[in-house]
Amino acid sequence: MKIKMIGAFCALLSVTVSAPLMAAEYPDRPVNMVIPYGAGGATDISARTIAEPLTKAVGQPLVMVNKKGAGGAIGSVAVQNAKKDGYTLLFARVGSHSVSPAMKATLPYTLEDFRFVGVYEINPVACAVKADSDIKSMADLVSKVKAKPGTVSYSSSGVGSMLHLAGAMVLKEFGIEKPLEAAVHIPKKGGGAAAAAVLKGTATFICTNSSALASFVKNKQLRPIMVTTAKPIVGFDAPTSVDLGKPNLQQLVGWTGVAGPKGMSDEIAKKWGGYLKEATSNEEFVKKMEARGSIIRLMEPQESQDFINGQYKIFRALVDELGMRIKG
Amino acid sequence: MDFLGDAFLQNIMAGFALVANVESIAALGIGVTVGVIAGAIPGMSATMAVALTLPFTFSMTPITGILLLLGVYKGGIFGGSIPAILIKTPGTPASSATVLDGHPMAEKGQAGKALGMALWSSCTADLISNLSLIMFAGWLASFALSFGPPEFFTLILFSLTIIAGVSGGSLLLGFLSAAMGLLLATIGLDLVYGTGRFSFNDTNLMGGLNFIAVLIGLFAIPEILTMVWDPSPKTEKRTKLGDNWVTFKEYKSCFKSIIRGSFIGVFLGSIPGIGAAPSAFLSYSEARRKSPNKENFGKGEIEGVAASEAGNNGVAGATLIPLLALGIPGDVITAIIIGAFMIHGLQPGPLMFVTNGDIIYGLFMGMIISSIFLFFVGSVAIRAFRFVADIPRSLLFPTILILCVYGCYAVNNSIFDVGVMFVIGWIGFVMLRYNIPAAPFLIAFILGPLLEDNFRQAMLMSGSSASILVRGPITWFFWTLTIITVVAIIRAGIKNSKTTAIE
Amino acid sequence: MQDQTTTKLPGETASITDDIPNGNQDSEAVKNTRTQTTIGICAIIFAVFTYFVAIPYGVSTPSNVSNIVLSPLFWPNIIAGLTGLVGLGLILTAKTKIMTITQNEPPFNFYASGGWQRLGIFAVLLIIYMASISRLGIVWSSMLAFISLALIIKTNHKITALIVAVLMPLALYAFFAHVAGIALPQGLFVRLP
Repeated sequence: MKIKMIGAFCALLSVTVSAPLMAAEYPDRPVNMVIPYGAGGATDISARTIAEPLTKAVGQPLVMVNKKGAGGAIGSVAVQNAKKDGYTLLFARVGSHSVSPAMKATLPYTLEDFRFVGVYEINPVACAVKADSDIKSMADLVSKVKAKPGTVSYSSSGVGSMLHLAGAMVLKEFGIEKPLEAAVHIPKKGGGAAAAAVLKGTATFICTNSSALASFVKNKQLRPIMVTTAKPIVGFDAPTSVDLGKPNLQQLVGWTGVAGPKGMSDEIAKKWGGYLKEATSNEEFVKKMEARGSIIRLMEPQESQDFINGQYKIFRALVDELGMRIKG
Repeated sequence: MDFLGDAFLQNIMAGFALVANVESIAALGIGVTVGVIAGAIPGMSATMAVALTLPFTFSMTPITGILLLLGVYKGGIFGGSIPAILIKTPGTPASSATVLDGHPMAEKGQAGKALGMALWSSCTADLISNLSLIMFAGWLASFALSFGPPEFFTLILFSLTIIAGVSGGSLLLGFLSAAMGLLLATIGLDLVYGTGRFSFNDTNLMGGLNFIAVLIGLFAIPEILTMVWDPSPKTEKRTKLGDNWVTFKEYKSCFKSIIRGSFIGVFLGSIPGIGAAPSAFLSYSEARRKSPNKENFGKGEIEGVAASEAGNNGVAGATLIPLLALGIPGDVITAIIIGAFMIHGLQPGPLMFVTNGDIIYGLFMGMIISSIFLFFVGSVAIRAFRFVADIPRSLLFPTILILCVYGCYAVNNSIFDVGVMFVIGWIGFVMLRYNIPAAPFLIAFILGPLLEDNFRQAMLMSGSSASILVRGPITWFFWTLTIITVVAIIRAGIKNSKTTAIE
Repeated sequence: MQDQTTTKLPGETASITDDIPNGNQDSEAVKNTRTQTTIGICAIIFAVFTYFVAIPYGVSTPSNVSNIVLSPLFWPNIIAGLTGLVGLGLILTAKTKIMTITQNEPPFNFYASGGWQRLGIFAVLLIIYMASISRLGIVWSSMLAFISLALIIKTNHKITALIVAVLMPLALYAFFAHVAGIALPQGLFVRLP
C-alpha cells in the first residue's frame, strides 16, 4: 500500500522534473568536473579557480567533484568509466596522467582511455635545498652524491608522484648513473609535508612545482639551485636547466588539463577547446594563477594530446632504464 | 621574533584597526555560523566546509577572507560535538573522543549539560590556543622544526598508550580492538614502494579506507543495528535535553582538565601533521588518568566531555603557528588557508611578520573575537538542535541512517565509501555486543599509519640503523614518557586484578 | 590449554547467545570467562589466518627490498603477531581474573525476540540500498530505505515516518547539491534539478 503511494508520488515528480531532458544542444544541464585529488591541493585550487570563468563560458553550472585517493587513480577511473556524453570530465594532472602511467604497472587505465580537450596550466619545476645547506649549486649537489653515495636524500609527495620521478630524473641528467642507489628517496604524504621535510633537514633536496616553494624561497628558508624551464622564474635566483646545459629537463614540468573519457564526440571536444580558450583569456583568472606561480598557456586538444604523450614517453623510458616500474 | 615591546603594541593596534570594521566582524560571524552548521552534519567535516568556502574569499580583502575561513574552521570543530553527543555520530573526526562520555550523558538525560560543557570548554580552549599563538608562535615554531621522522615516531608511540585510557573494562580487549584498527589502516598503497597492501588490484582499495567512513561506521551504524536487533520500547533510552544546563561549579571542577587539554592541543597543533582527533583522545585519557572518578569515564562523566573538547579546540589556533611562522601547513585545513594567502599574493613565513605584520596581528585580533562569536553562535545552535533529543527513536534512527549515507557519500563522492561504512558498522556491532571498545580501534586507525610511515622514513634517513630513533633529547623524552606510562598501566592492571580477586 | 578450550568451543558459543539471563553473580562470571576465551580463540584464528593467508596473498612486495624493516610486509606481520599475543593473553587470563572484563555496560539485551530475522532483513536492505543509489539515485533510494527501516523497527508513527521519509532526503539533497555544491548520484530514471 505504502509502496504504491510512494510509487505514485515518484511518478508524479518524474513527469515534472524529467521534461527538460529532451532538450538538444550540449550542454543542457550541469557538468560534473572530477578533481582526482583532495580539497586544498594544487589541482583542486587550480580547478576551482578556472571554474569561475569556465562556468561563464560553458553557460551551465560546473559541479566540482573531489575524488581523491591512490595518487589520482580513483578519480581518473571514475571518469574513464563514465558515460561519454560530455557531462563528466576530469581535471587531469601531471601526476595522474604522465608519471603514474609511466611508473605503475597496476594502474587500471592508460593514456589511451582519455580524450584530452586541453592543457591550460604549466607549473615550472624548481629544485631547492635548505637555505643554510653547504650545497650552493647543482654542481655541489652532484659532487656530494658522487662523493658519498647514500647520504643525500630527496623528498616527494609519495611513490609515483611527479616529485619522486623529478628527483631521479634530475640526478640522472647530471650524470649520476644509478640515482636510486646513490640518493635516498623519502616519500612523504602530500606536497606540503615534502617541502617541510627539506626545511627540517629530513631530506637534502626537493624538486617540485615552483609554486609550492615560492613562499619558502621568498622567506629565505630554502635556496633554489635550478629551475627546469628555459626562462628564469621570477623570485627564483637560480640558473635554468638550459643555462646548465641540460635542455632535456625542460620536459619536467607540471601541468593541469581537462580530459573526458575515450570516445567522447569530436563535437564536444571542440566545444571544450573553445570554452577553455574563453576561460584562459579571462584577465582576472590569469592574474590569480600567475600570483600562485603558474604559467597560463592553453594547448589545443591535439597539441595537448601530443604534449602529454611526449612527456609520458620520456618518463617511461627513464622509469624502464632505472627499474622504477612498480609491478605489485 | 620579539613579540614584546613597543613594536608589539603598535602592531596590535594596527591589527585591531584592520579588524574593527563591519566586513571583518561579519565574516567572522558568518564563518563561525557556517562552520557550526557544517560540523553538525555528519560527513560534512570542517575540512570540506573550509574548502567549499574558499572560492568565496577570492574577491574579499585578504584579512576578511582569511577570517571567514578561520571562522568556518573553528565553528566546524565545535559543531562536530553536537551530533557526537546527541546521536553518537561525530560530525567531524575531531569530535570522536566527545562521543565516549557525551553520548552516555545524553542517554542519561543530560544532553543539555554535555552540550553546554562542550561549548564552554571549546571556547576556553579556543581562547587559550589563540593566546598561545600570539605569544609563543616563534618559540613553538622552532620546536616544530626539530620534529623529524624519529621524533614523530616516538611521539606517536607514546600517543598509542592512550589506548589503555579508553579501553574501558578490559585492557586486552582494548588491545584487540586496536590491533584490528592497525590492520585495517594498512589497506592501500605502500608508502615506500607503492605496491598494493590488501588492495587486490581494486582501485578503490588502493586509496585505503576513508577515515570518515570508518568513523561513522564504527559509532553510528552499530547503534542502528542495536535498534534493529531490539526495537522494543522498554529499552528506550531517554535523551531529553531538559532544562539541565551546565553550571559554573561543574565548569570549575573541570577547569584543570580543560587547561591541560588546551595545552595538549596547542602542543600537538603546533607540530604539523597530527591533527585534532589524537589531541582530543590524549587530553581525554590524561583527564581520566588524573581524575578521582576514573571509573565513571565512558559512562557519562562530564569531565570527559570537557577534556575532549578542550583537546580538539586547543588545536585550532595552534595549527596556525607553523603556518604563519614557517609557511608549513599543519593539516589539510591550513593547507587550504595557505592557498587563500597566496591568492592574495601573501606568502606566510618569517618574513611576513616584517612585511605584512599588520595582517598577522589583524588575524590575531580576529581570532580572539572568533572565540567570543563561537560562544554565542554555539549557544544558539545548541538550543536549535535541542529538538533532536525529543524525536521518537523509531523516526530518529532511519533519519540517522539516511544522514550518514548522504554525509559519507559526500566526503569523497564515492558509493564505495558508503559500503565501507556499512561493513565497518557490522564489525562495530559485533564489537559492541562483546564489550570490545571501539575507541582504541579508531585511535589505532589514525595513529597506526603515522607510526609506520615515520618509522620507515626514519629508517630511510639512517640507512636502516636503529640508532636514529634515539638521536636527540626529544626522542629521549618521549621514550622515557612511554616507558613510565607503560609501567604505570601494568601496575594499575595488577592492582586492579588484585582488588577484583579480593571481591 | 588451548586444545582443551578448543574442544569446548561449540557448546560455549551457543551458551553465549542462548542462555536465559540470570541475575546470579556466579554464572555471570562464568559466562564472562567463556566469552573471553571465545574471543581469545577467535583472535588467534584470525591472527594465524592473517599471517599465513591474507598477508602472503594480499600484500605484494618488490624483489629489491634492501632491508627487512623497510619491507611492506614488516608492519602487517607485526600486527598479526600482536593480535595472536592478545588472543593468547585473553585465553590465559580468562580464568585467573587478571585483566578480565570488569564492567559489563551498557547492558546489551542478548535475548530480543526476532532479532536475528530483523538483522537479516536489514542486512539485505543495506545491500539493496547501496546497489540502488547509483541506479535510482540517492534521493529515491533513501526514501525507500527510510520507510523500510521504519517498518523493520516497527514505528508507531507511521504517517510521520512517511512524511519524513519523503521530505528529508529531498531537503538533504537540496542542501548538499545546491548549498554545498556536491554532485549527489542522480540515478537513471528521474533527474532532480
